[in-house]
Amino acid sequence: MFYVILESTRSALISILAHGLRSFLTTLGIVIGVASVIAVISLTQGMSAFIGESFSSLGSNSLTIQSYTPISEAMRGVRARLTPEDLELIERRAGGVASITPILYASRSSQVRYAAQTTFSQIMGTTYAYRDVAQAWVQSGRFIAESDNLTRRRVTVIGEKVRDDLGLPENPVNEYVELGGEWFKIIGLLEAKGDVMGFDQDDIVLVPYSTMRSLAGNQSQIDIQIQLSLSEQAEVDDVTRQLTALLRNAHDLEPDEDDDFRINTAEQLMETFDTIISMVTLVIGGIVSISLLVGGIGIMNIMLVSVTERTREIGICKAIGAKRLHILAQFLIEAMLLSLLGGLIGLALGYGLGTAISSSIDSFPPASIPLWAIALALGFSGFVGVLFGILPAAKAANLDPIDALRYE
Amino acid sequence: MNIADDNLIRLHDISKHYEMGSTLVRALDDISVEIQRGDWVSFIGSSGSGKSTFLNILGCLDRPTQGEYFLNGVYVEELGPNRLAEIRNREIGFIFQSFNLLPRATALGNVMQPLVYRRIGYRQRREMARQALDRVGLGDRVDHLPNQLSGGQRQRVAIARALVTEPSILLADEPTGNLDSQTSADIMQLFDQLHREGQTLILVTHEEDVAGLGDRVIELLDGKIIRDRRAGEPLH
Repeated sequence: MFYVILESTRSALISILAHGLRSFLTTLGIVIGVASVIAVISLTQGMSAFIGESFSSLGSNSLTIQSYTPISEAMRGVRARLTPEDLELIERRAGGVASITPILYASRSSQVRYAAQTTFSQIMGTTYAYRDVAQAWVQSGRFIAESDNLTRRRVTVIGEKVRDDLGLPENPVNEYVELGGEWFKIIGLLEAKGDVMGFDQDDIVLVPYSTMRSLAGNQSQIDIQIQLSLSEQAEVDDVTRQLTALLRNAHDLEPDEDDDFRINTAEQLMETFDTIISMVTLVIGGIVSISLLVGGIGIMNIMLVSVTERTREIGICKAIGAKRLHILAQFLIEAMLLSLLGGLIGLALGYGLGTAISSSIDSFPPASIPLWAIALALGFSGFVGVLFGILPAAKAANLDPIDALRYE
Repeated sequence: MNIADDNLIRLHDISKHYEMGSTLVRALDDISVEIQRGDWVSFIGSSGSGKSTFLNILGCLDRPTQGEYFLNGVYVEELGPNRLAEIRNREIGFIFQSFNLLPRATALGNVMQPLVYRRIGYRQRREMARQALDRVGLGDRVDHLPNQLSGGQRQRVAIARALVTEPSILLADEPTGNLDSQTSADIMQLFDQLHREGQTLILVTHEEDVAGLGDRVIELLDGKIIRDRRAGEPLH
């Protein structure tokens, strides 16, 4: 069997090389198919790797607690909330927490103005602990201090993008910006962090939490987010369980009621993104692999033509002692080699394409091909070759030697 | 299968019938022939006499409708397609009127081809093919493609290809049909030489000159043997 494969491969190669241009055109469908699959995979995988890195910079030991209202509840006008009391409760009762901070998002306008420039940004009320929890460091000035919160100072720390949008000087400290109709003094500028999946981490404006609350007026029913980071030896699962118990108790939830809050870890968030990316990869990959099938049909077509063209040759080979297996193997291996060759060219092309795209678009992560994608592309193109080579090969193998010899 | 005689080929009441529309064509009708090892037998007949059908059956490319065919002691009719392919490879060397060389293979490649089906390694194949080409006087043309060779040279390549497997019989179908008279004479001389070396030869032709060179001439007409004579005997 090995001998047959070896000899068939030898003659298949000779045949492919003898019709260089035709072989190339035949396999073009496979080349394009594999190239697009690889380009797509290399881009999404590059993105996924990049997101992984970005999230690890967020700190994998941080937790975010948000209120959660199921849609059916929201329709009835019920809204779940996380309240400052919940925060206090956690601060007092929960173990394993290194630092904890509330985040209060601006409820009305998020308009930011400096001189004649206006922009919209994410305005968040928080405390000094945010710096540790979110790994947010200032490049100039200082971060929000505890005293800022105690005295409800109208001070703000802004992100690089906001500074840029407003046309503020390189060092914006001591400038004043207008947030929701009130003037705030800039006390710090955050280090640039870049963006994750189109969400710009530098597009934020931080103000003291209590200042934000006072701006919200005497709205007693505010809904906050709580971010906390775990102490070194704490286990994420333990803390999550503990927090869940605390909050369920505080919210008077019956055992049969669902949580009205969600505890997210950075890891979970990353997994969510990963799931989305694999879905996208799968869908695009699926669509693109249709082109591989089309390429396979192209190969089948040419192989059928080739069988007809070589009918007489097949007759000769049968007359001098070729068995069905020999003829079958020769054409099957030729189809498979054509397809595999296309796969290899497509692989190189697709990687080149992915790299070109990722490097030509700013802020796009570098392309990367995982080994499984290479194996998949080659395996699939080989499979396509066999699948669409069987029909022509069987046709050749089943030719009657007398008819084949008589064929003009 | 009690065949232990000297006959290399024994055909007994071989018939081949085709349905052509509603009429039954008797391409071969009860043919019985015995051919001994080392013989040079020519089958002669006009077109339509059934000689091509006869050749196909002799060469194990086709099966008779009825009758028995023993080749080298083997009852051929019982064999499946793969065994038949082996028989063609081992026992028979085909030589065709239109040469039937593989167009994309060199002379050497063509001669090596039947050895591929015998699982012989590349180096040994090449060596055997070189020797066969030397034997037909083409030792200096091994790397030429068929379309770079003259008709006579192509037929020599075909003969080398038939010889390389050391077959029991050489089966030649109008081997000089596409050649000019001088080249034909050269080829026939080569056959004569092979015959003197002990090779069994079966020729199918419609030319009396060619047929007359062998030991024995068998005349076919309408699927029947009408005459079986020693070569050189007068025709009438």
